[in-house]
Order: sequence, then structure tokens, then C-alpha cells
Amino acid sequence: MANDRNSFIFRLVITLFVILVINFFLPRMMPGDPFSTTSADMPGEDIIVMTEEQRLYYLEYYGLDRPLHEQFYTYITNLMKGDLGRSIFYRKPVSDVIILHLPWTMFIVLGSTLISTIAGVVLGTFSAKNRKKGSDRMMMTGMIAFAEIPSFLLGLVLLLVFSVHLRLFPLAGAITPFAHYSGLAEHVWDILHHAFLPVLTLTLAQLTGVYLLTRNSLITVTTKDYIRTARSKGLGERTVWTRHALRNALLPVVTRTGFMIGIMMGGVVLVESVFSYPGIGMTLRSAVIGRDYPLIQGILLVIAVSILICNLLVDKIYSKLDPRVSI
Amino acid sequence: MSLLKIKDLKCHYQTDAGIVKAVDGISFEIDEGEILGIVGESGSGKTTIALGIMGILPENTTSSGDIIYRDHLLSSLYCSGLDRFRWNDIAIVFQNGLEVLNPVMKLRTQITEPMMKHLDISLEKARSKCADLFRTVRLDPKWLDAYPHQLSGGMRQRFLLAMALACDPKLLILDEVTSALDAFTRREIRDLLVDLQKMNGYTMLMISHDLTFVSSVASRVAVMYSGRVVETGPVKDILSSPRHPYTRGLVHSTPDIFAYKDLWGIPGDIPAGTEFKGCPFCPRCTQKIKKCNEATPNLIPVEGGREIACHRGGVAGLLQAKDLNHSYRLPDGQYLKVVDDVNLEVKEGEVLAIIGQTGSGKSTLAHILANVIRSESGNVLFMGESICKCNLGKNLNGIQIVFQDPFSSTNNRFTVLDAIKEPLDINKIGLKEERLQMVKSTLELVHLPVTDDFLRKYCGELSGGQRQRVALARAMVMEPKLLIADEITSALDVSTSANVLRLLKGLQNRRGFAMIYISHDLSMTLKIADRIAVMDKGRIVEMGNSHDVMFSPSDEYTKRLVGSRLGLCCHTH
Repeated sequence: MANDRNSFIFRLVITLFVILVINFFLPRMMPGDPFSTTSADMPGEDIIVMTEEQRLYYLEYYGLDRPLHEQFYTYITNLMKGDLGRSIFYRKPVSDVIILHLPWTMFIVLGSTLISTIAGVVLGTFSAKNRKKGSDRMMMTGMIAFAEIPSFLLGLVLLLVFSVHLRLFPLAGAITPFAHYSGLAEHVWDILHHAFLPVLTLTLAQLTGVYLLTRNSLITVTTKDYIRTARSKGLGERTVWTRHALRNALLPVVTRTGFMIGIMMGGVVLVESVFSYPGIGMTLRSAVIGRDYPLIQGILLVIAVSILICNLLVDKIYSKLDPRVSI
Repeated sequence: MSLLKIKDLKCHYQTDAGIVKAVDGISFEIDEGEILGIVGESGSGKTTIALGIMGILPENTTSSGDIIYRDHLLSSLYCSGLDRFRWNDIAIVFQNGLEVLNPVMKLRTQITEPMMKHLDISLEKARSKCADLFRTVRLDPKWLDAYPHQLSGGMRQRFLLAMALACDPKLLILDEVTSALDAFTRREIRDLLVDLQKMNGYTMLMISHDLTFVSSVASRVAVMYSGRVVETGPVKDILSSPRHPYTRGLVHSTPDIFAYKDLWGIPGDIPAGTEFKGCPFCPRCTQKIKKCNEATPNLIPVEGGREIACHRGGVAGLLQAKDLNHSYRLPDGQYLKVVDDVNLEVKEGEVLAIIGQTGSGKSTLAHILANVIRSESGNVLFMGESICKCNLGKNLNGIQIVFQDPFSSTNNRFTVLDAIKEPLDINKIGLKEERLQMVKSTLELVHLPVTDDFLRKYCGELSGGQRQRVALARAMVMEPKLLIADEITSALDVSTSANVLRLLKGLQNRRGFAMIYISHDLSMTLKIADRIAVMDKGRIVEMGNSHDVMFSPSDEYTKRLVGSRLGLCCHTH
């Protein structure tokens, strides 16, 4: 057991190191640097064209003129001290920028995962119960066709229809800027109002996966001998389905949901960009465009770590749910 | 009054390959407190009956017929109506398997679950009842908090039993409860079941392919074959005198009943329950007649509370010998009685061994039965006709004999071909080319080469084993219904005789002819005989199931004969 734990920690350290190396070198392999860019992405931003002299000055100021291995060494040692560096664009510590934007991302990712899981399980169960009937066939065909639409495209369509034409939802942001709220309820309503479309997009993107997994897993489980046993005990169909079938069929769904949270943290970039939702996804996009090396590194690290944490949690929860598995 | 009554139950599975008739018209009754066993090979539809009674057949099944529990017609109820009876009145102990219990639920939950549903008791009470049940099946209550995968096979079987007893059901269905257990655990489960039945008077329906296990618990047994019942009756009678050819095959391939006999299963496979006409056992039966291919036999009551489904009324008699007597005149003018009032019967497909010391009259008896010599009195009937009138040795499907000494029974100056072809030539059977073909296929049967070289060889050139096989081939070429083998291995060395004997038994098993095997070698006899007749001074002193005769002889002479076996120095009898 102690050996297992040691090897686990060893693997974790190796994984982290590889992530850090990629994190560091990948942004620097992109053409250009933070000071040669001439584009301004943010609306209302002035285009600053630097002279070569100014550029060299800033490169030296941020230590970007030193050899790569030295920069890497500094990055690692600072990281050990908990310092993620300073954002060139925002001119404040990277950790501050991340703390400002991460909650929004977590909000829509967790929210959409929760909703899609519940909806997927309910629909999947309905489908499995009505297997081979028309309602199941129609639902499955619809779901699979729907899953083929990329999430950003879906987001764009939703945005055009509900925000641009119907004007039901805001076009951008997570809250109304400069708003004065008369109470907590209004504040919450504003947040939910803004989050609705992004969450809907992410939910729809994940729904088919959960639905199919639940349906197929249930169908497999219902052919098992223990379902026959439960049925012969005269427990009633309801108990057989919920306590015996679903309980077993949901094991893979739990695993999937955990992994999906991690993957969504990365996948949310496009959706946030479409809705101009101020999470870390959109921040990452602008950081990449602005070649803001420290910020890119910081955000990628956060995403990588959250994927790792999710996987870990999945393992832990799974071993709690399935007594046959022990870690 | 019967507790459960099944009337013409049919369960047909609709598969992509067609309809599989797993259960095809079965009726039986179980009385209160009775243990009924259902035996049959795997795939005979036993488990389907159990699932049918519980109402948990797979969706692709169409079933018809009546299942009546007390006064309730279960087969007319839907799931929700059945739930009232499930577990509360009828519970099932499933075949042990990894997935028969919910893997993510503690044993305690799985056993209390039906109690909470059916019995009006508190959780506290249910829990204390669990512990009691565990003790009843001799399982430590500490396992209540375990998960199914943590149990061993035997423990899981005990738990399945405890779970079935949770609501004190009236009828207990046991589906292959011992199939995966070792001999020791199997014995324990058996004792447990017997105790439970004695204490609480459970009515049980015991489904198993394990004839020994069923016979040790059940009082009545139904033998199933391909979705139908072929024979029913009291367990003892079925075991000691199986009437249906299938039952006999089943009994004969049970090592617990014939401990020393070589295992020879019933040749062929069980039909998969798909479309067939006639008797389902027909393709594997050794005594089929034309009708067997055309109509399915019904279960018909016979004497002794038994029922049998066979157009021939069960295993048919092949040869009956009545009151045979024979004496030789000695040089001093006196008569020596060598066959003294012998009565015996040989059934279809059966191996009867006649044993006794030299001079006991075995060979003379054999020669009388083969119509080589005439008896002084009495008569021998073969398939209902006297053998004296119709010389059976002359025809195909008659009686053939193989003699003791191959060196004198085959002519030195005959080629192999001539020796084997001789009976065909004499009796003018078949055309010339056909005869050659028959000879060749018979040679193949006895594992001899069929090359022209070998066919042209003179019998004098052959070894003892080869020559005995030629003699065997000469008998086999006439495709006998009854083969009399008179000490055929005594002139051969150990290894050769073992080979010849295995060959003979294999042929017998495959072709299904009956055989009278005459020998003084007890050990050899035990390996192949179904029944043994012991002869002494011309009389048959004891006759019965080979195992019984050998291990619990009742006659003094038999005891001496059994005791006279030379033990090896390492055996201390």
C-alpha cells in the first residue's frame, strides 16, 4: 500500500513536470513576443506601436532576453514560492487575474455538468425502459444527430437567435456593468440571466454523451443475473430499476462526469469567447493573442491541475461507490 | 393436495436463428412437503421451468400453459400481481455465479430487502432475522456487512439459500445449487437441505444435472430431455432400473453410481430444441424404430407410479433366456451339468458381463445363446422369436459371437479379406463390390489398416491383437444387435487386451449394440459392464448392477470371487 502511494506520488510529480515544461516552452515557440504585437483585441484599446528600442527595453525588463534555460529556472523557482509571475498585459500578478476569472468558468462548467448529467440520466433511463419502442428510437436518433453540432457553432446560433433577434438574453459578460442591485435576489438573477446561454450551450454539448452512456449501461445492466434475482424477489419494478439497475448503471456515468469537468475547463475557451464570458477561457484567448507568456503559463497550469484533481476525485469516489474496486 | 401444478407448460425463445423450444409441453405436480427433482443434461430446459414459475423469463419468450400455485393461476398474472407470491410463497435459490447478487450492495441489504417488502416487520426485527438465517445456513453473521465478491463460492451458495429462506416460502426452487461446488461443500449443502426439509417441511423443486445429488435429497424425479419429460418416478426405482434409454444413459454415465467403469457419455448431442419431428432422443437412441422418427411420444403411466415417454415402452428387452439346461456326458458315463436352470435377459444397448471361474459354464452358456449349441431344455428368445427357428447368425442385425482364442477362431490360411468377408459370402449378403466396401469400413471400425497389402495378408502372419481384431471385424461386418464376446482378451497380453477392450467398448457405445461379455477377469469387467451375472457350477448365483455386485456382493461365491483378486503389494486390502 505504501509502495502504491509512493509510485502514485512519483507519477504525479513526473506528470506535473511534463506539464510545466510544455507550459513554458509552448508559448515561446509561437511567433512574435509580447511587445511586437500590433493588434489590439479589446475594444477601445489603443494600438501601441513600439519602437525597436522600446521593445528591447521591455524584453530586458521582463527578463525575456535571457537564455531560455535561465528563464525556465527562474519560472520554476518562482513557482515553488507560489509566484506565478506578473501579467504583461494586465500589469498585475497572474494569480490575481486568475482568481478574478476562474470562478466564472467554474460556475458555468460545474453548472452545465450538473444539469447535463441529471438530464442525461433521466432521458437515458426513459430511453432504456422503452427500448426498441418508437420513443427510444426517435430520442436516440435526435440525440446523436444533435451531438454532431460543434459547441461553438451551437453557441453562435443560440446567441444570434436569443440575444440578437429575440433580445431575451444579454450579448456579453457575466453581469450587467455598473449595475446597482436592490437586493441579493436581483443580483443572483442577473448572474443567472447572463450565464443562461453559455450554460445551455455547454449542457447541450455534454448531454448526448451522458444520455448514451446511461442508456447503454442500463441496457447492459438489466440483462445481468442480479436484476433477475431482484425481480424474482418480488420487489416491484420501481425498486428493481432504481435500487438495482440504476445504482449499477450509473457507475460509468460518475466516472465520465468527473472526467468531463476536467476536460470542460479546457474546452470552455471557445464557448466563453462566443459569449464574451469573462472566465479564464476568454482570458486565455486574449493572453495568447497578446503573447502574455506568464498569463498563458498560469492559466494552462490551472487547467492542467484541475484536470488532474478531477481524475483523482473520480478515482476516490468510484472506489467508494463500487466495493469491488480498491485503490 | 398439490402445492404447485404445472400443466402443459411451453416456453419458446424467439431468437434470430428461429424458435428455440426450451420447454415444450411439460406437466407435473408437487405435493406439499415433497421434494421433486428435475434432472437432465445442460440445455434440456430445466432452468427455463424455474424461470417460468417465477415469471422472470426473458422478454423474447412466449409461454403458454398453466402454472397453478394452490388456487392461484400464476401464469395469468402480470408482474405486479406475481410480486405478491414471489419470495413470499415461492423463492428460488439461483445457480451460483458472480453476478447473481448485486455487486454494489451489502449482503445485509440484499437479504432484508424482500423481508421489508413482504413481511410486515421493523428493520430491527429484519436484521435480527438475518443473523438467524445466517446461522441456519451455517454462515458467520459477521459476513452480513460484506459484499458479494468477498465471499467464496460455497459461502455465496449458502447466502443464496439464506436469502431464499428470508420470507419463509412454501416452495423452494433450487437451480443447480451444487454445480460449482467441491465435493465437501456439496455434501454440506445436501445435509443442510435435508435438515431444513425435516425441520420446516419445505416443498422443494430441485433442478440439477447432478443425478447423485438429486437422488440423495429428492423423493421423486423427472428426467428431462430437450424440453420434455421423458421419465418420472420414485428416485430409487429410476436409479436402479431406468426405463427410458436416455435415463439409462444418464445413470450409466454417473461416476458415483459406477465408480470403476470407464466414463462413456451418451454419444451425440442434445438437439437445441429447434424444429424436429418425432422423439427428441431419436438421433441418439440405440433402439429406434420407424415410428420414433414420425411422432413424439407422450408421457404414459406405467406400473410403480412411474411414467415414461417412449414408443417402445422404455428400454426394450433384446434377448430372453428361460430355464436353460445343458449337460456334458463324461467318459465314465455320468452327466456333468454345466448350465443349470439359467434365466437371463439382455436389454437393448446393454453390456451384461457373465463372470465366474473356469468350468463354471460361462462359455457353454454363451454358445447356447449364440445358437452354436442347442440347450437340452428351455428356450432363448431374440427380439421375441426363438433363436432356434430363425438362425440369427446368418442375417445382418442378429447375434454374433467372438471366441476366446483368435489363433484357432481365424484360419491361418485365410487372408484378412477372406476371413472377414466369409460370413457375407456364405450368407450371400450384398454384391461383390459392396462386400469389399463393407469389409473395409469394418476394418476401419476396429482400427486396422485398409490397404490392399493388409487385406492380402494371411491371418497366420498377424499378431495376437491384430488377429483378435480381425475376429471382431468378422463379427462386426454382420452389424449385430447383440455381440457375444467370450473371453476375448484372455489370450492377449495386458496392453493389447486393454486396447482391444477399449475398442470394443467404444464400438458398443457408438453403435449402441448390446453385448454379453464373458470373462473371469473381474477388474476388466468392472470397466465396461453395466450389469454383472455371476456363474458358479452352471447356475447364475447373483445378478445386478455391476457396482453393487462388486462392492456389496450378497452371495457367498461372489464374495469369494471378489476376494480372490490378487492385490498389488502396494495395496493393503
